[in-house]
Formats: sequence, C-alpha cells, structure tokens
Amino acid sequence: MMSLAGFTSKRTLTAMALACSLALTGCASTTGTSKTVDTGSFSMPQYESMTLDNGLKVNFMVQSEVPIININAVVRAGAVNDTTSGVSYMTAKSLLLGAGGKSKAEIEQTIDFLGASLKTASGRESSQIDADFMSKDLDTVLAIMQDVLMSPDFDSAEFEKLRQREIVGLSQAKESPRAVIGRYYTKMVFGQHPYANPTTGNSVSLAEINIAQLRAFHKSYYQPSNMAINVVGDFDPAQMKAKLTQAFGRWQGTEKAVQPDLSQGLPSLNASRVLLVDKPDAIETTFVFGGLGIRRDNPDYVGLTVVNTILGGRFTSWLNDELRVNAGLTYGARSGFNPFSDSGVFQVSTFTKTSTTKEAMDLALKTYARLWEQGIDQQTLDSAKAYVKGQYPPKFETGGQLAELMADMYIYKFDDSFINEFQAKVDGLTLEDTQRLISTYFPQDNLQFVLIGNAAKVADIAKEYGEVTQINMTDVGFGQ
Amino acid sequence: MKRRMTALLVLLSAWVSVAQATTQEDVNTFTLDNGMKIMVLEDSSIPNANMYLFWKVGSRNEVPGITGISHFFEHMMFNGSKKYGPKMFDRTMEAAGGANNAYTTEDITVYTDWFPANALETIFDLEADRIANLDIDPEMVESERGVVQSERTTGLENSNWRTIQEEVKGVAFRAHPYSWSVIGHESDIAAWSLEDLQQYHKTYYAPNNAVVVIAGDVNVAEVKKLAKQYFGVIPAQTPPQAVRTVEPLQKGERRVFVEKASVSTPNVMLAYHVPSTKHEDYYALDLLNTIFSEGNSSRLYQGLVDKQVASNVVSYLPLSFDPNLFYFLGVANAGVDAEQLEVNMIAEINRISTEGVTQQELEKVKNIKLMNFYRTMQTINGRANTLGRYELYFGSYDKLFSAPEAYNKVTIEDIQRVAQTYLRKANRTVGVLAATEGADL
Repeated sequence: MMSLAGFTSKRTLTAMALACSLALTGCASTTGTSKTVDTGSFSMPQYESMTLDNGLKVNFMVQSEVPIININAVVRAGAVNDTTSGVSYMTAKSLLLGAGGKSKAEIEQTIDFLGASLKTASGRESSQIDADFMSKDLDTVLAIMQDVLMSPDFDSAEFEKLRQREIVGLSQAKESPRAVIGRYYTKMVFGQHPYANPTTGNSVSLAEINIAQLRAFHKSYYQPSNMAINVVGDFDPAQMKAKLTQAFGRWQGTEKAVQPDLSQGLPSLNASRVLLVDKPDAIETTFVFGGLGIRRDNPDYVGLTVVNTILGGRFTSWLNDELRVNAGLTYGARSGFNPFSDSGVFQVSTFTKTSTTKEAMDLALKTYARLWEQGIDQQTLDSAKAYVKGQYPPKFETGGQLAELMADMYIYKFDDSFINEFQAKVDGLTLEDTQRLISTYFPQDNLQFVLIGNAAKVADIAKEYGEVTQINMTDVGFGQ
Repeated sequence: MKRRMTALLVLLSAWVSVAQATTQEDVNTFTLDNGMKIMVLEDSSIPNANMYLFWKVGSRNEVPGITGISHFFEHMMFNGSKKYGPKMFDRTMEAAGGANNAYTTEDITVYTDWFPANALETIFDLEADRIANLDIDPEMVESERGVVQSERTTGLENSNWRTIQEEVKGVAFRAHPYSWSVIGHESDIAAWSLEDLQQYHKTYYAPNNAVVVIAGDVNVAEVKKLAKQYFGVIPAQTPPQAVRTVEPLQKGERRVFVEKASVSTPNVMLAYHVPSTKHEDYYALDLLNTIFSEGNSSRLYQGLVDKQVASNVVSYLPLSFDPNLFYFLGVANAGVDAEQLEVNMIAEINRISTEGVTQQELEKVKNIKLMNFYRTMQTINGRANTLGRYELYFGSYDKLFSAPEAYNKVTIEDIQRVAQTYLRKANRTVGVLAATEGADL
C-alpha cells in the first residue's frame, strides 16, 4: 500500500554538477545569476476531509508505515480568550482530571497500559488534545477522547492539586531564563493586547481561577463548530469515518463561540525600551531584542523564512557566525519570526557570560544592521534557498507532525497550496525581493529588549539601549 | 515505497514482525577493508537521507587534565580540514540543502548529517575530508574554547539536572572517568594544547573505530560505491587502548550538596551504581526504569507527584559501555523540604524491593516499550540512530531484533531482584540542590 502519494524523488542533477554548483572557487557564479539546487520534490500527502452536521471538521490521512494512529482535536481558543490569565491553560489541563465517569487515575492507567499517550495543551490562539496509540486500540482511546472533550468532570479536589502544582511550576520555570524569556518579551511587545497574555497564566491569577470559570470556558469554546479533528496513521478510512461520526456526530454546540477581533488595538512601538529582569545569581545574560513581526497568512511568509535563515536561522547564519564562530561569545545566536493570526513578533536571541554582555549585544545589533547596510548577495541567497528546501520534508515525516500540520491549517486558515507551492516560492525569490522584505518587515528602529541577568552588573549597560524598566525574576508574572 | 507493517495483537509477534521487516528488507551492512562498518536502510518516503557516524570515543577515554576533550573535539571536527577549510564544512553542506549536528556522551561521539538525497556525494566528500585530513587551526581552537565555555555556562544557568548531576558523578565515581561531566572541567577547557587535539584525532578518528549508518532515499549499490571511493581509502590505525579503570565497589552512602540561590524548591538526585548495557540485568533494569517514571500511572508520579510531595520526578538509565548510574531526580513541591522529598523518594524506590511489582505493571511497560519503538521507527533519523546505538552499546545491531524476546523474558521476580540488588543505600549517592544549605549552629 502506497502511503505517501505525492512524494517522488527526482534525480535530475548529477553529482558532478551539484558539486560544481557548490564549490566556492572555480565554478561559483560571478555574474550574479541565480543557481537552483534540486532538493527533490515534495508535496502534501493525500488526505480526506469531511464536515459533520454539527459543523465539526474532520481530516484523515492514511500513513501505514507503523501500526499506530495519531489523533488531535484542535479548538479555536487560547490565552487570547482569557478573562482571568491562565483560564484557557487550566481548562485544557483539567480535561484530563476525570471525564465520563472515569477518574483521572483510571484514564491514566488505561492509556498507559496500552503504551499510548494522551496530552492536552493550550497556546496563544488554540487548545489541543493529542493522542497516539496502536491501531488495534482505536476504540478504547477514542472513547476516552470523546469523554475528555465532551464531558470533562472538572473534579474540584484534583483541580486544587493541579493548581498548586502549576503555581509552584511557574516558580521553577523562572529558574531557567531560557524557558521564560519569550513570555516576558511577548508581554513587552504587546502590552495590553490579548496577544500579551502569558499562555501559562501567573501565580496570582492561577490562585484566583475557579471551577465555574473552567466550565464556562469549556462550554463557550469546546464545541463542534469551533474545532477540528485530525487523524493520521494506519487505519481503514471508511471505518474511521463511521467511528468518528458515531463518537462526535450527536454532539450539539451551544451559542456560537465569540472570538475577539485581534486585529484591533495592536501596539505601535515608538520608543526603544529595555526590560531588565534581575536574577542576582545569574552567571550569564540571556537577551532578546526585536519588535512586531508578521501574520501567519502574510504572502511573504516563505520569503521571510529564507531571509531569516541567512540572518539567524541556521548554523552559518550571520548572527551565529559572528557571535559564536568568530567571537566565541556564545554557544548560539539566532533570530526568527513567530507569526500569529493577526500579528506576530520578531526577535534576535542569544546569551553570553555576564562579563561580555555589552560586547555580545553590540555585536548582535551590528550584525543585525547588516540587513540594511550590506544586504544579501546571490551566493548566500542560493545557499539559503537550498537549505530551506532541503530541510523542509523532514518536518512532515511522522503521523504526529502531519496531524499537527493539519491542526495549524485549521487555526491559521491556510491550505495545501502553502505546502505544495513552498518550493516554487523559495525558488522564485530574487535579490530584489529580499531588499523589499528587509525594508518592509524587519524592525529597524524602536527595538524592544529583554535582558535576564545579574542587574548589579549589567544595569548600566542596559541603559545604553533604551528606557529601562527593572523588575525581579521572582516578581509575579512576566512584566507589566 | 514505505514498507507496510501489519499490526498484530501480540506484543512479541508484533515487534518481531517490525524487526524482521526491517532486518530482511531494509538493513544492508558491509565492512570496508579498513574496518569501517556501514549500514544502509532504503526508505523513499521523503526525498531526504541522513548519515550518522558513530565514533567509539567519549569522556570515558579522557584523563584528568584533558577532561572534556572528546566533546571539544566534536566541535573541532567542524572547524577545517585540507580540502574544506575553516567554516567550509557547514557552508558547503548548507548550500547543498543539508544540515548537521553532533553529540558527545560518556562513551561515544556521533555526527549527524541530514540532507536532500541528491547531496549524498557531497556529504561523503565532506565527511571523508575531515576524517582523513583534519587541519586544526590554532585561531579556531581559541574561539571554540569560548563557545564551549558558553555551552557549559548556559547549561549550569538553565538546567538543574546538569548542575546537580555534575556533582553527583564526581562523588559516585572516585576512580573511573565517568567521574567528570562530558563537557569537562572549566580549567581543562581553557588549557588543552594543539598537540593534545592532534593526538586525539589520530587515536580515535580511525575508520576502524567507527560505525556509519545511512538511511533514506538512497540506493544500496550507490552507497557502497561512494563509501569505497571516499571512506575506503582512509587507512586504519592501531586500535585505541582499552579503558582500564574499574570503579571500586561503593561501601556506604555518599552525599553532596549544591547551593544555588535562585532554586525555588529543593531538587534531590539519587544515583545507584548499575552494570553496563551488555549485562544480562539490563532489560530488567530498563523495564524497572519505565515502571518508575513513564506516564502518570508510574510509581514515582503516583507516590510523589499525585501526593503533592514533588512537582516533578524523573528517572534515567543511560546506555553505557561500563558500569554506570541509575538516576532519580525529584523536584520538591511548595513547602516540602529536601529531607522530606528524599525520604519519600527512597520509600517509593524501596517499595519495589520489598513488595515487588504486579504482572499488570510489567505488561504495561512492555506495551510502552513497543509503542516507543514504533514512534522511533517512524523517521529515518530514529532508524539510523537506533541501529547505530544497538551496534555500539549492545555489541551488534542484531540485538535490536532479539530485544523483544529479551524484554519478554523478564518476569516480575526479575524486576524485584534487580531492585534489591542495585537500589541499596550503600550503593547510593544523594545530591541535594537548594537555595541555601544553612549555617552551622
């Protein structure tokens, strides 16, 4: 049975021609003409979709390499829908505290005994339940997923225990600057906008949340017209359709889920600001800087992936080459766009020992400025295009990755054409395009900085980059 | 064309069917005249392939004064050789659509290349050049020292595991080279010489000290041709000397304390000496490890996290050439001190020695093992890494295919016996990481 229709491999480029196109001397192009590296063709594997009468979207993709199935249920609700910070997160976590007459422990024993996994997660704009299991155990796992999604108990004793663990977990997360710097940064960039809401809540807000709020959140957002179910793996499609229809077809939603208009009230960043988070025993400074990024549906998304690869998206990127390879200041430096539905962030990120904080920050800024001062040359662009294309197929190799891709397609409203046109879009990118992308999208002025480190040693340095707000790592939340 | 593997209801036959499918259909092995062993798995599901090069050298091959050099050397393998000078290894590979990484453990150093299958010959050329003709540039050595110091620092800044494990190893091993962390002592990173590095390459980076796995959209005949052409011409070397030191028997509990002001609740690490991966008790110990910490129905979750004593507990049994440690790390919940956490962790561990485990628990972890195996075998990277690790740690990749039988032979009596044998107080090192140790009264 052919499981991955659409994947073919073309060996049209001989090894000799390839070697020549890569050599740095001799046959490197000096005329500025672009050279395209053939990385083999890649497209979206075949799948089927259906919509149940209650509005629930279901996607099925057969992948028969190993006898397992991945299922996720993705709900359009996340931290942007929070009334109290962390409600979405705690709702997702609490789905597994007992459901449909089965206790938390019973669900866990059943799932573990099968070697399966059942997890929930909640992000900025979506919540998700993910399961993977052996194909033979479909009925058992599907019944549990149905209970967890449709009729969670929200057991109060288990909720109290979970809440307490999550609150202490936040303090523990703050022991690792790398684990939390993104939460400070997003909050700083978005201020009062819902995109600023930390997905995990904070220690005070979690203490305030009650079961009634979880039930209300579940009722408002976890309903068939506000979600999709994605199934990838080794199964019979006709059987799977029947089983899913039986499990979820009679589920009736309540009133339509109300979504905030996230395109409203976006921040305008009109001054450089620095958030200095004091961790007195820090032996290094962890820092990020940047500003607003792009929406997920931006037509230049693919082009920006290529340009960012050159700046900070791969080992030989400018940032990693300068800060790590040439200067030995850090183990790694990178940059990236993190797109949301209606906005996004862009950041440069690295870390260095406390005594070289200024040196590393200045070198990161100087390297970033090369985008405007020097721009990109043809040889580097060709290389980045080959790299981005070559590293693309392994992102969609497992059932879990493919199910996750389909969940993203639902939340961010893109379709197969994104995957199927990816290579052509990369191939078509010109040097002129890169100049336009740089001047249009990369934040050049009014940069926002977050530094986590020993304030006693780096506060004076922080002042050089903008207006400083200093807080303690142990303060509640992730900045104001 | 991906192979379809039939789901069967019985664990043993299901696993064996996967394994046999992989053995008979997919794994092709050959050894070059210079002793380099190569394994190939054809899989055209995506137009990509990988090359994993496993070298039998890790921190166990070091001595005081050059601790961490195996890992540093892993970095230097990217910093220039005869044909491809400094930076050109990465630049050439990325321009061909490839990416790479590498990792070093106590026992092995592994180089991982991921690339569009079209780039296969470029990858062979790049790898052969750095194996045969590494050219260590003194300037690159100096900047790389800073890189590795930063890697060490950022690990200590961000990881409690790394902070406490470094100290626990130093106490649990007083003779064997597992005593120091893979990244090495700070002063050694700053001090090794060019000669140390050159000697290291000559000693350990010989084709007869390597196993290579290539998986993906490749053709066995072509791989064989390229392997002979690029790797076959590299001369073998005298095999490296064996590691002689055997850790003396531990005869009483050892303790270590680490202070770190920003630690919000105490962490407790327990480490017990256990035999190497090739020992007959490995399979029982591995299943015991799974019983302890995999899933929310596991012993440690149920006994510690669910009871609000710990917010997190993990256990870890590394694959290992020599006798090593079975680790447990617990993170205290709010209001629980280090002593309470330690007592509770030990009680939960000892309960298996005194009461044993149930047949159902044993069945459960066998199912977990099978599912984990399927998850791993979904990717060409999982396949390459698993085959290579079996070849090195178990002595032959064939052991992957006898593993189901070996796991199935384990009984609940075996589980209790290995718990009683190894998880004893006198065989234990306790590490505590907390904000303050407290002063003498």
